[in-house]
Amino acid sequence: MKEWARRIMDEKVREKYVNEVVEKFGDRIISVERNADNQWIIEINREDLPEVVGYIVNHPEWKETQLSTMAGADERPLRGKFSLIYWISINGASGDVFLGIKTYIPEDDPRFPAVTPVHPGAHWYEREVKDLLGLIPEGHPDPRRLVLPDDWPEGVYPLRKDFHYTDSPKREFTDETKYPYREPPKGTAVFPLGPYHVALDEPGHFRLFVKGEEIVDVDYRLFYQHRGIEKIGENRLTYDQVNFIAERICGICGTAHALAYAQAVEAAGKIEVPERAEYIRTVMAEIERLHSHMLNLGLACHDIGFDKGFMDAFRIREHVMWLAERLTGNRKTYGMVIIGGVRRDFLEYRRTMIEETLRKLREEFQKWVDQTLSTRTFIKRCEGVGVLSYRDAKRWSSVGPWARGSGRNFDARRDHPFAAYKYLDFKVPVHKEGDVLARCLVRAEEIMESIWIIEQALDEMPGGDILAEWKEIPPYREAVGFTEAPRGEDVHYVMTGEGNRLYRWRIRASTYNNFPSLPDAMRGNTVADAVLIIASLDPCYSCTERVQVVDLEEKRARVLTEKELIELSRKVSRRV
Amino acid sequence: MAVTLKYPFVKLEAPPEYRGIPHIEPRLCIGCGACVNACPADALLKIDDHSTGTRKIVLDVGRCIRCARCDEACPTGAIRMTRNFEVATLDRSDHVEVVELRLHRCPNCGNYTDYTERALEKAFQILPEGLFDKEELRKKAILCRNCRRKLTVDDTIEASREVVG
Repeated sequence: MKEWARRIMDEKVREKYVNEVVEKFGDRIISVERNADNQWIIEINREDLPEVVGYIVNHPEWKETQLSTMAGADERPLRGKFSLIYWISINGASGDVFLGIKTYIPEDDPRFPAVTPVHPGAHWYEREVKDLLGLIPEGHPDPRRLVLPDDWPEGVYPLRKDFHYTDSPKREFTDETKYPYREPPKGTAVFPLGPYHVALDEPGHFRLFVKGEEIVDVDYRLFYQHRGIEKIGENRLTYDQVNFIAERICGICGTAHALAYAQAVEAAGKIEVPERAEYIRTVMAEIERLHSHMLNLGLACHDIGFDKGFMDAFRIREHVMWLAERLTGNRKTYGMVIIGGVRRDFLEYRRTMIEETLRKLREEFQKWVDQTLSTRTFIKRCEGVGVLSYRDAKRWSSVGPWARGSGRNFDARRDHPFAAYKYLDFKVPVHKEGDVLARCLVRAEEIMESIWIIEQALDEMPGGDILAEWKEIPPYREAVGFTEAPRGEDVHYVMTGEGNRLYRWRIRASTYNNFPSLPDAMRGNTVADAVLIIASLDPCYSCTERVQVVDLEEKRARVLTEKELIELSRKVSRRV
Repeated sequence: MAVTLKYPFVKLEAPPEYRGIPHIEPRLCIGCGACVNACPADALLKIDDHSTGTRKIVLDVGRCIRCARCDEACPTGAIRMTRNFEVATLDRSDHVEVVELRLHRCPNCGNYTDYTERALEKAFQILPEGLFDKEELRKKAILCRNCRRKLTVDDTIEASREVVG
């Protein structure tokens, strides 16, 4: 293990955080339990939630602390109560600790004081438990629906255990079920973007409130693609099967999800993974980062009309895709990670293939960076656009390059060394400007670091098994698994169950923490930059869409095609 | 380094490691259903018909997510991933493969069991040599669960009578 990893994984450093929380809140803490190597669960009363969570997240000395995930569970069959658990991670290379703040909520009074007023990062999580479990966050500033469709009947909560996974309540779309969008501020027009749109990963609807070309405020409606994967994972799939469904949560960062899930179950079941498997997992995660970042950089170029950069980035990226195909059997959805290890070994010829591809890649990508950064249009269009301040990034618990471009020094690979990262040396690129350019630079630098990580991992990879045998996982144990996906920290929370099945599975993809901060980054920018800013958050693209421009004052609607929008966007490029 | 390929005008061969669509070799399949249990996407189904004594293993490539768990689970190597990736078709039934096997029939009561004849033969085949008297074992093993239980009880009663008598 490297020196830096030993320092943050030190027992004394870890216990310091737990002890401080215990000392501060004393007898208001009901119990403290260490459920995994770096994870503690602290049980408190529900009245103390905002104070305890707020204290840890906003602690002046623990700078990069953040709300990693929050899961509600229906534990009525076990304890007759609902439960809520807020997972907070200590970051910034100052200790490898996850604190789970748990509280129970009685069935007859399903309310809890919302944490959102003290930490806006909890915004989505609390709206989600309200939708899916019917636990009401009291004092939440925005109690509208988040996850469930508009026509879903009131009082039906799909994640409760008495809701069978094949149930489908009767739904009726009326005027009353229409989503209550915010009223546009006075003197602004509404510019709807999506649900189907070139710049959006999944269908998502944005309402830009514009004054002329300037974006004054933003409202959004997402979760058009909620697939109920968690419910399927809890009811129909066995531990091993969940892995492959987890991999298909995202089209780009599949391995990150599969790995996060596998690590969560391994932590809960205390399964030791062979060292060689950890190295192979690391290499796969980094290969994924390579192609994901190149995709995003290429698309950033495309959005500003610099198609040479776009084509070049995709040409370089294709070699990574081919490499992945040879290593795992597919360009995407590698199917490598399962609980206990990996499925395919790196034979000698595969190793040579990686080394060769990386050598070419480094050379070509360096050329791409030089070429792009010396293009004036690219710099002018990205500089100072879509600025997300450090304060906002921290406030919303943002993750990944989106947060690192705003100066948050935080990376799950370094702060919570999983897989083989603890045996490797690497830098975490951080930029302070917070604009689109900073995020592009973070990604470009991370690609170089990834190449270096893969080279080290290949050199140091030990021999041995690639898969650990495991027989049974004890029921009702909780743990989180975390990875650094290309878009940021990915966290899966699991509670093991009986009969080779999960009791509760909570997926938190990185974009979940990033999206709520998007309005802050978009305010004050122009409509032509909206697509670029959304793209710099790194969602994937689907390409056959259109946007509608509504001019409220003239009551006239016009449909902008994708071509027109890109044309509009490019006009700005020409101006600079 | 150009990466644009002339596909589909030029035929494209997938690399040797490629996980394409799975295919069942009917001659090897014993209908044990291991692949059905492993499949996360329900692309494989096991449909028994006890009145006619058949078991169908149905593979729907349209549902398959190419994870290759079935390939790992199969005890006889009947289901294998191919390197074929061209599955677009105008007819959904092109995606479906069906293997039909005979269920084993109990010679005593005449009911169909919930395993196939081939699975039973396979079980005999993999028995380690010299541990059991194979002929004796076969007499019992070909019976269905109920008849076997009855036979065991009858034998025990018979034996105890001998001891008492």
